[in-house]
Amino acid sequence: MKKFIQRFYMGLIFLFLYAPIVTLLVLSFNSSKTRAKWGGFTGQWYVSLFQNTEIMQALYNTLLIAVLAALIATVIGTMGALGINHMRRRSRAFFNGLNNVPILNGEIVIGISLMLLFLACRMTLGFTTILLAHITFCIPYVILSVMPKLKQVNKSTYEAALDLGASPIRAFFLVVFPDILPGVLSGFLMAFTLSLDDFIITYFTKGPGVDTLSTKIYSEVRKGIKPEMYALSTLMFVTVLALLLIVNLSPSEEKLLQGSGNGKKNLLSPRRRRLIFGRVIPAALAAVILVGGFYYGSKTRLDSDNQVIVYNWGEYIDPEVLDLFEEETGIQVVYEEFETNEMMYPKIKAGAVAYDVVCPSDYMISKMIDNDLLAPLNWDNIPNASNIGDMYYRTSQQFDPGNLYSVPYCWGTVGILYNKTMVDEPVDSWEILWESKYRDSILMQDSVRDSFGVALKYLGHSLNSTNIKELTDAQQLLITQKPLVQAYVIDQVRDKMISGEAALGVIYSGEAIYTQRENPDLEYVIPKEGSNVWIDSWVIPKNAPHQENAEAFINFLCRPDIALMNFEYITYSTPNEAARELIQDEDIRDSHIAFPDEAELANCETFTYLGSQVDATYNDLWKKVKSS
Amino acid sequence: MSYKLINLENITKSYEGQRVLDNLNLYIRENEFLTLLGPSGCGKTTTLRIIGGFESPDSGRVIFDGQDITNLAPNKRQLNTVFQKYALFTHMSIAENIAFGLKIKGKSQEYIKDKIKYALKLVNLEGYEHRSPASLSGGQQQRIAIARAIVNEPKVLLLDEPLGALDLKLRQDMQYELIRLKNELGITFIYVTHDQEEALTMSDTIVVMNQGYIQQIGTPEDIYNEPQNAFVADFIGDSNIIDGVMLEDRLVKILGAKFPCVDTGFGRNKPVDVVIRPEDIDLVKPKKGIITGRVTNLIFRGVHYEMDVEAGGYTWLVHSTDMVPVGEEVGIWVDPFDIQIMNKPESVHEEAVSVEE
Repeated sequence: MKKFIQRFYMGLIFLFLYAPIVTLLVLSFNSSKTRAKWGGFTGQWYVSLFQNTEIMQALYNTLLIAVLAALIATVIGTMGALGINHMRRRSRAFFNGLNNVPILNGEIVIGISLMLLFLACRMTLGFTTILLAHITFCIPYVILSVMPKLKQVNKSTYEAALDLGASPIRAFFLVVFPDILPGVLSGFLMAFTLSLDDFIITYFTKGPGVDTLSTKIYSEVRKGIKPEMYALSTLMFVTVLALLLIVNLSPSEEKLLQGSGNGKKNLLSPRRRRLIFGRVIPAALAAVILVGGFYYGSKTRLDSDNQVIVYNWGEYIDPEVLDLFEEETGIQVVYEEFETNEMMYPKIKAGAVAYDVVCPSDYMISKMIDNDLLAPLNWDNIPNASNIGDMYYRTSQQFDPGNLYSVPYCWGTVGILYNKTMVDEPVDSWEILWESKYRDSILMQDSVRDSFGVALKYLGHSLNSTNIKELTDAQQLLITQKPLVQAYVIDQVRDKMISGEAALGVIYSGEAIYTQRENPDLEYVIPKEGSNVWIDSWVIPKNAPHQENAEAFINFLCRPDIALMNFEYITYSTPNEAARELIQDEDIRDSHIAFPDEAELANCETFTYLGSQVDATYNDLWKKVKSS
Repeated sequence: MSYKLINLENITKSYEGQRVLDNLNLYIRENEFLTLLGPSGCGKTTTLRIIGGFESPDSGRVIFDGQDITNLAPNKRQLNTVFQKYALFTHMSIAENIAFGLKIKGKSQEYIKDKIKYALKLVNLEGYEHRSPASLSGGQQQRIAIARAIVNEPKVLLLDEPLGALDLKLRQDMQYELIRLKNELGITFIYVTHDQEEALTMSDTIVVMNQGYIQQIGTPEDIYNEPQNAFVADFIGDSNIIDGVMLEDRLVKILGAKFPCVDTGFGRNKPVDVVIRPEDIDLVKPKKGIITGRVTNLIFRGVHYEMDVEAGGYTWLVHSTDMVPVGEEVGIWVDPFDIQIMNKPESVHEEAVSVEE
């Protein structure tokens, strides 16, 4: 019985440790795009992973940076350790302490300070700055892993080598280096994995168009993680596992010692053999994987001044469009993605990186106009802008009075997605989200403005209300609703609705189209009280180095065939009337989800920027809702 | 034994303000087995490291074979060192260890092979070529370290407490081994130790050092029988060091009794230190001795008895093969030539110290 409990306990621990990885592994072979459904076994994600040039480019960058950073940091760190080790005791303690500070220091601090330093030195953020940053944060770890080995080294072996006629450098490499090699190698591996893993520091020091896997994966999160990422993560896990197995299954030292005592010509000393099995083979394997990665990832890079630096949401353009643009105009596109308006804004404001064309949302555009960050567009250079429907320009006036700065790119609404098999009554009002019979079948957006927008609209107020009475009423309403709500989520609304886990959910129209394709029982409605209509538009920052190229880019995106390509890729509604005409599928062309008529939008508003004080009030009220 | 192979001239060395060697002058003759002997911290190892080139003196010169090598790098010096902790290269086989110096000098494969064989034979470890250093005992490792040094045919072999880490029996065996090696190779050995027995056994010349100063240079017999100051007397073997007054030539007064001796030239009524080795004291009938006393302690030491005798207000240490029971009254007799007279110490470093080792 005791044994059973012991085993059960062990089993439980391993289950907890490995269940997530197994889930990942299984999902990477799932032919259905959603997590919720098993659509049969497939290897297609692995195939498309290797065909995805963006991911491969990111992989290439990651590996290149990791190898270079680890190599350089190992050389510098080893030399540093040697230097510190030869100091007098007091200075040695001092420098050892100094070396530990960056390790204990928060990554975010290192990231920000490095970024500031690079900017102060007038360096352009990009590949070089990431590399320098990685070298910087890896060095202390190399020193840390070389130091103990160096302390173990019998100091007289070095002197013995000198004594036997070796020059100091030769003595070091022949005698000291083999002794500290395990420390150097593990320092290298540590630096390599740290660099491979790093997100925060990379995020702060990277420039437009350069992505590592971690920043790339992170930017994917916005639209939900693509199955290719499962495949990639699985591959990374398997690689690490293989390395680990080889290290641990290598013959043990004792066995080697026994084997070497037989006086036969055995040129490999036991330590060398252990080194080979324990370190060199894994390193070689890693090298093979690296070369493979480079082979797949290598892509000729052009460096020219004739470029346009695009800063866009993740997954918010058909990559082919970028290729076509480059082909037709000869302008090279440097492309970078952001995840939220709030993350994009400080980068533009700081002017750390000069972007040419950015795609923020409505309220953020008004904030950027208020802060004088945008350049007025030269509409003569954007003739295709006339393809955008007047209705959208009218709506844009809410945040861009006079239509001076922005060209609408995508738009949509917020509404209720419901499952026809689970909801019998007609859905046309926010009221249904307070219906107690749907207890635990309602999904709300986990975001302040979206949730308050629902409540404010239900109460008949503006969703940009700054009236504290209206806001507390809305808060009270949300608190009464809370017991009915199954979960406050963002991405999962989509999956949970497809799988039928919930009956009703607040969702964006673009997502609604997608879910309906996966599960025909789902229906989307914009409640009669009105809702949020949002527009993401292209704008040009004031400090854009290539404004004409940026206008050419916007003009290109407004071309009907190109807008159609993007619509089909993104699935969010296009404001481009000419493009809409080109849609083959009638169901979509006339879809009331994608293209609601103006009457349906009558009560809809865009969010506007309310100022930081009101933002804080919203956040406070929301916090109380969440914690009630 | 005539040519001065190494000459240390006015060597001074300090570490962090602490003076380790103070104006040291020393020469080492060709084919000599010279031992630097002293307690830890006396400067003996520093002296050796200066000869080896691992330390450079603050001032002074090192002359080797007529050439000034004070600032020559260790790898350019024609001498080799055997280190206290062997310092074998653990990632190399025994053969690779021994071949290290020869490979660097670019000797031929054939030559190296012969040399390895020769060296292993010399240290009685034939057939150990392919073993790893870690698989050998301490004594074997030290012999490999010696083999590794001597294949380079140095003119001088420096040995830094090479037997310090070995147990007593092994240490004694290795002492004979080293003497044999020295005779077979016919080169100069400079040996550092704090073990006076080791020094007395092996050396041609012993240099006794304390606090950065040379206390006495001489043959083992000189050092033992005629220590020049209280430190040497105390450090080498056991001694009775007693205050005395030189009444005239060949007569010294100790503890109120007059002892005939053989020393001259100290003048009249001169306070001196008197050294009498415990084995040189004869215990006789009370009336036949120069001074009488009583045995207060008795220990059996194997080859002899060790006794404490209270006489004239001083506790005499006596070694004798004859046992006298505790409490018995005895007379003390010392032959005149067994009494060693020394001037009173002129500075602190010449004073007797209790040596823990």
